[in-house]
Amino acid sequence: MAMMMEHTIKAFDADLQDLARMIAEMGGLAERQIGDALDALNRHDAVLARGIVAADARIDALQREIEEKAILTIARRQPMAVDLRDIVSALRVSNDLERIGDLAKNIAKRVEVVENELKLQKVMRGVEHMTELVLTQIKDVLDAFARRDVGKAVQVWRGDEEVDAVNNSLFRELLTYMMEDPRNISVCIHLLFCAKNIERMGDHATNIAETIYYKVEGHALTDERPKGDTTSTTNIPYRDER
Amino acid sequence: MNSLAGISHGVQSPAPTIADRSIDDAGKPAAKILIRNLNFYYGDNKALKSINVPLYERKVTAFIGPSGCGKSTLLRILNRIYSLYPHQRAEGDVLLDGANILDPGQDLNLLRARIGMVFQKPTPFPMSIYENIAFGVRLFEKLSRAEIDERVQSALRRAAIWDEVKDKLQANGLSLSGGQQQRLCIARTVALRPEVILLDEPCSALDPISTAKIEELIDELKDDYTIAIVTHNMQQAARVSDYTAFMYLGELVEFDTTSKMFTSPGDRRTQDYITGRFG
Repeated sequence: MAMMMEHTIKAFDADLQDLARMIAEMGGLAERQIGDALDALNRHDAVLARGIVAADARIDALQREIEEKAILTIARRQPMAVDLRDIVSALRVSNDLERIGDLAKNIAKRVEVVENELKLQKVMRGVEHMTELVLTQIKDVLDAFARRDVGKAVQVWRGDEEVDAVNNSLFRELLTYMMEDPRNISVCIHLLFCAKNIERMGDHATNIAETIYYKVEGHALTDERPKGDTTSTTNIPYRDER
Repeated sequence: MNSLAGISHGVQSPAPTIADRSIDDAGKPAAKILIRNLNFYYGDNKALKSINVPLYERKVTAFIGPSGCGKSTLLRILNRIYSLYPHQRAEGDVLLDGANILDPGQDLNLLRARIGMVFQKPTPFPMSIYENIAFGVRLFEKLSRAEIDERVQSALRRAAIWDEVKDKLQANGLSLSGGQQQRLCIARTVALRPEVILLDEPCSALDPISTAKIEELIDELKDDYTIAIVTHNMQQAARVSDYTAFMYLGELVEFDTTSKMFTSPGDRRTQDYITGRFG
């Protein structure tokens, strides 16, 4: 990627670098929260889960700091063109990362009530697979953000379809377990929400990809994104075989 | 470090296509003035190089660029002010409603009534506020006293200065504040009922409140006039104009809608300039 020339006013560069650094820090924290949430769910680790809930405060604080810094920079520097897009992008991405943090926290809150039962091992592996996919998406998109790499951003943008596919199959599987035995319902509902949370994280990654496109190209990515989430229209009829 | 030096200027030609793209964006406004292949010389020094740019009717076009880029020179051509000086020469076409104002037969007094100009430093005549307006009107039209009164009042109202001067029309124009003087000059221009108004850094000597008043005025005036403004203040260009032209080293680098120019300009040199990465 072409390096941006420096501003005549050096402090302006420092402002923009501060924003980029805070986004990177926020992204790193969000990634860790997702990984920890999956571990806590897998190991049924309530202590780790509480740690995740507590750590979310730092992500929220960073979002506020980015917002303040961005507003102050707009007021002081009156940015134009690529600088303006950089700052608006930082604001948008910090919102997405804050939401990702909230979703990870929500998974952590469910850890205590989700018993890791043997028969749910297959579902757990599905959740694990989906989380890994989404984590890769988020890592890639944050990398693309830092490097202004539109190609990589578009790749992430298209990659969300795979996440949707895994989510669809998890959804069907969980519905089946619930039909088999009503005692599964509580755990399955919680896992369903966990899967939905992870799927939402993937959507935020595509939001960030769109922001990168705008930041670099100067206009919105208007193509229709390939979407594969069919859970809203999935229905498995109940057959009473007793 | 001068980032722009040494970059080839390949973007500009053929310039009409640059303009055409904007016409499409904005729903085809008509060009009040069309500048075609315009070259300008101060003696042997070529100050403008093959400029192609339209000034759309009832729109504000801002000219931006570093000092010496030729933007004031361009403005000075539009009402032939340069003709007052020896060894200054323009080549090409400047079409006002289709007629070339560079033609030797052009009546310059008539031209300057149709295309008014306001300068960087306010230039009121050393006479009363009333006479500052009435003087020019009398040169061009035979009007009754009542008609001139009417014209003076409407021009002062149009320039948003009436309320401040209506009780002291006989006071000397030079007794006004800088911002008021500049609005008086705009009133003087408006009184001649021009079609085009040229503003050469009209706010650079004014405080922020006076600047805001002039900008508000520009916004109102564009309902009736085609306006070209040269400004060093990028934010001002972004605030007041519909179209922006970026000039550098005597060339027109980029011309587009202001919204495009200040959010995602097409040329790297434009971007470096408007984001303060220049020089």
